[in-house]
Amino acid sequence: MPAEKDEAKEPRARPRLIIFMASFLVSHSTLFSVVCCIAGLIALLLLPILAKSTYISENALMPGSANPVFSGQDVSEASRLVKDITETQKMGKTTGIEIQRLIIQRMADVGAEVYYHKFQSQSNQFHPFRFFSCDSNSAVTESNSNTSNGLNTVGIIRAPRGDGKEAIVLVTPYNSEYVKLNDALSLGLGFSIFSHLSRVSWLAKDILWLAADSRYGEYSSVSAWLKDYHNPVFFSSENVDANVTHDKDFLNMENKNMLNGRNVDVFKRAGTMAAAMVFKVGEAMERDPRDILTIYAEASNGQMPNLDLINVVHYLAVHRQGFRVNIGKLASLVNSAWLNLVGQILEWLGNLAKNLNPKWNFGISSADYAEGAATVASSMYHQALGVPTGSHGAFRDYQVDAITFSFSSRFYLNNENMQSSFILRGGRLIEGVIRSVNNLLEKFHQSFFLYMMTAPNKFVSVGVYMIGFALLALPLPVVAASLFLNHKATGFTGTEEAKIAFGSWQWLYAAKTVLMIDLWALIASLMPYFISQIPNISPTESTLLWVALSVSILAVLYVILGSPYSHSAQIGALLIVPMCLVVRPLKKHMQGALILRALSLVCNLVMVVIGFPPAALLLMKGFSEGFEGVGIGAVWEVAEFLWVWNSATYLYVFLVHLPCWVLCIHILLHP
Amino acid sequence: MSPYSGSMYHGSPLLLPVLGPLTVNRVKGLPAHLFCSLIFVIVDFVTAMLIRATGQKLMSTYHRSLQLLNLSCVQETAGHTHVGDLASLIFLWNPFTIITCAGSSTSPIDNLMIVLSIYGACSGLSSLASFGWVVSTHLSLYPAILVIPVILLLGYGPDAPPSKLFFLKKSNESGGSCPKDKTCSEQKSKEESHIRNFCWRPVLFFILWSLIWSSYILFLSFISLKEFGGLSEMVKKTHGFILNVEDLSPNIGVFWYFFAEVFEFFRSFFLIVFHINILFMLVPLVIRLRHRPCFLAFVYIAIMSMLKSYPSVGDSALYLGLLGLFANELAEMRFSFFLLCGYVGISLLSPVMHNLWIWRGTGNANFYFATGIAYASLQTVLIVECVSTILKHDRMLRNKLTT
Repeated sequence: MPAEKDEAKEPRARPRLIIFMASFLVSHSTLFSVVCCIAGLIALLLLPILAKSTYISENALMPGSANPVFSGQDVSEASRLVKDITETQKMGKTTGIEIQRLIIQRMADVGAEVYYHKFQSQSNQFHPFRFFSCDSNSAVTESNSNTSNGLNTVGIIRAPRGDGKEAIVLVTPYNSEYVKLNDALSLGLGFSIFSHLSRVSWLAKDILWLAADSRYGEYSSVSAWLKDYHNPVFFSSENVDANVTHDKDFLNMENKNMLNGRNVDVFKRAGTMAAAMVFKVGEAMERDPRDILTIYAEASNGQMPNLDLINVVHYLAVHRQGFRVNIGKLASLVNSAWLNLVGQILEWLGNLAKNLNPKWNFGISSADYAEGAATVASSMYHQALGVPTGSHGAFRDYQVDAITFSFSSRFYLNNENMQSSFILRGGRLIEGVIRSVNNLLEKFHQSFFLYMMTAPNKFVSVGVYMIGFALLALPLPVVAASLFLNHKATGFTGTEEAKIAFGSWQWLYAAKTVLMIDLWALIASLMPYFISQIPNISPTESTLLWVALSVSILAVLYVILGSPYSHSAQIGALLIVPMCLVVRPLKKHMQGALILRALSLVCNLVMVVIGFPPAALLLMKGFSEGFEGVGIGAVWEVAEFLWVWNSATYLYVFLVHLPCWVLCIHILLHP
Repeated sequence: MSPYSGSMYHGSPLLLPVLGPLTVNRVKGLPAHLFCSLIFVIVDFVTAMLIRATGQKLMSTYHRSLQLLNLSCVQETAGHTHVGDLASLIFLWNPFTIITCAGSSTSPIDNLMIVLSIYGACSGLSSLASFGWVVSTHLSLYPAILVIPVILLLGYGPDAPPSKLFFLKKSNESGGSCPKDKTCSEQKSKEESHIRNFCWRPVLFFILWSLIWSSYILFLSFISLKEFGGLSEMVKKTHGFILNVEDLSPNIGVFWYFFAEVFEFFRSFFLIVFHINILFMLVPLVIRLRHRPCFLAFVYIAIMSMLKSYPSVGDSALYLGLLGLFANELAEMRFSFFLLCGYVGISLLSPVMHNLWIWRGTGNANFYFATGIAYASLQTVLIVECVSTILKHDRMLRNKLTT
């Protein structure tokens, strides 16, 4: 092969541009990573400015194209129900299900199909196999004595123009043990809409109204109903039902569960759900000039409903019914001094740019900025925590877009006139939303699913907020490459290693370390399940037990599998660092000036303390709530909370963050 | 009932009576498919043992040829691993293998047959090699291209440095004196034998055995499908199904996405283009790598699992295991760390994207296909790097010999 020989003998050509750039980046990795980190932080701070105004991208929705016909007559129905409920409440309870019976009677009177839905509120607990499986088998739920029963009431209106394949769900949670005025009002609102919809002719999707008995939590009742809705039980479930009724003497089935000659215990369905709305009437807020509509959208693990649904609600609420729309924000951030300072700087920069060129109009006022930043921070927090903000979260697990909105009036709603005008506007809003969703030809798909809100009518889409995260994460592979190349340049000098060297496969030993630590992390993350099996254990004890067991297992694994080779730890961090977006290990510099050394040491120590998840958690809790009440038990409580809600944050912390932290320690302590 | 009624089953009619009952029987309290998965575990274990035996054969041949070339020093500097053990361990501990068993995919059986034919060819057992080749071709069609490395293996014997080196060696030594304990003629004949003329006998046996085995298998299939349309139905529903890419449900390959998008009247054209991709690479590779038929088989298997119409991680498990067989030669491979990171990243991201698209409904097909195409590129990088490293290794041997 003469050609190849010639090639080999030729002097190496000038490296190509891309290779040159890559090697340049790698050789200046420290500078590059500092620049990238700062740019990433700035990009995150700019999010409120980069937000776009929302728009309705699904044409079929056509919000507000028809005038709402929800009228005073419907409102009087609502008031009648509210009055009945309060009277029933006053009479005192005998069987505990008067309100359910009242509701179902009314629903049946307007000609709907109705049924009771019995459910057992399961006490959530650790279970390693239930992680991520939202629809765990309902057949395995043992009917043990401390589960408690709830009773939802469900009504279905069959659409006169539909084929029964699609449905819209309305949910009204209320506490059936003690119905407050708010709950009674939301029930009244729900019922008035329901009865109104039973008379309209334009319905093309069935309407399901779930009056969710939320005495054991809103989420559990809705999720129990959804689980039964989506998992039809084909075998006879009479045993379970019989147990329930006989044990608890909850329902006397024989004569009461027949209504107008129809059985109201049979579970009925109405096709796939196009959208779901959870609405409730909240406490009155006096300070505001307008009635407030608060929207909650975050479902489990950072999933969001389609942006179009929020847009429709927002559009109708603001432009038709004159509500002020609120979404959650971290109140402590709005008034924080540094955020306002950043806002002022940005405002000043915006004005400067505007002076230079009037077309550059991107500045916002500092108050707006602080507001937007607080909202986006809350959005980020809820999406990252992975715990739904309301019962709409249960719907997202079944691919149904759902939001919760709660109405709060500017007056106390004791007065009947106030009540009726309030219900009228709420009802018109809900009617409008239903009318829009009713127009849909396919399920929501046009607008965004991955976004964060900065204001009720402003959002940051995934393409924008990923810039900041990508800039933050970009240094990791670059630093990894530079560490790897440095190691390759120096690694062959070691005598012991050269003997067992596999050429370019040297990193295998480092991979072993990483694998070992990841294995340990997996064991540590599963351990709470076994600890929670021990009866009568306080959170503090469990935390201590957890830590002790984890540390001992780590020590054992370290002795068995720990690698004695030098340099391994450095590259070891490489494997996990590209995946980990939080910690960048600072290598111990033994050479260099004293100040640099001290600075690096201090940085390392600070990062080690902050990087340790429980320490970070306790610090955060301490700063927000004061250090007095913070104990080690809090760690256990948070872990339990995350686990119960199947939060991916738990997995992240234990399978990515914690191993990374241990590797950093490994590197720091490395000789 | 015909096994091909409906669109559930597209495998061999002979595999169904063996595995079918196992998926139906279940012991109370245990998950279904337990027996089936157990069978696959055993099959995988046998595969690993065969890989180990193949590795030992390869090692001994390689040692001998290096000794003949007076290049034992190469071995000492590069270090030598017991490639058989390494490869079988990689195969057994590979998460892909474990996932395949847990998911009761039938690919372990395909893998076993492929490894069986390579092992048979390595140890010169024509009948075993032809059995493995015929059955694997019958099961999944693609292993048909393995006929080239198998014939080369039977004709030339397992991997050795290029034959040119032996000529070079001989011409170097032609002026020198003969070794102490052997006569010149003996030495010459021995070296002649190591220049390795192609010997036709096992190849002819292989062809003969292949004919016998394939007629036997066709006969058995014919009997089992007598009432349901016979062999034409079987070919249409197994090999035709593979070639026509009728099932477009998402998998880790790239075919489904493309053929879901392509216009109907271009479909046959693109089918030909996609399938001929594999065939295009056969000849150049065989010209370049004919002295290393085992490695050639590995490269073919890797290409196959990349360009298959319905690839699965089981195919990757096989070629990643076989990669261990060439650990000594591939010691200087570049990008190994990058490749490992890539494989880890893809195997973590791919289920996430699938979940986002199929179950959560918040993503779309592009999310998942992106991981599929990244996976295909990773495999390409792996194959290219492997081949270039082997060629570099050969060049290194030649440099050692000439200087």
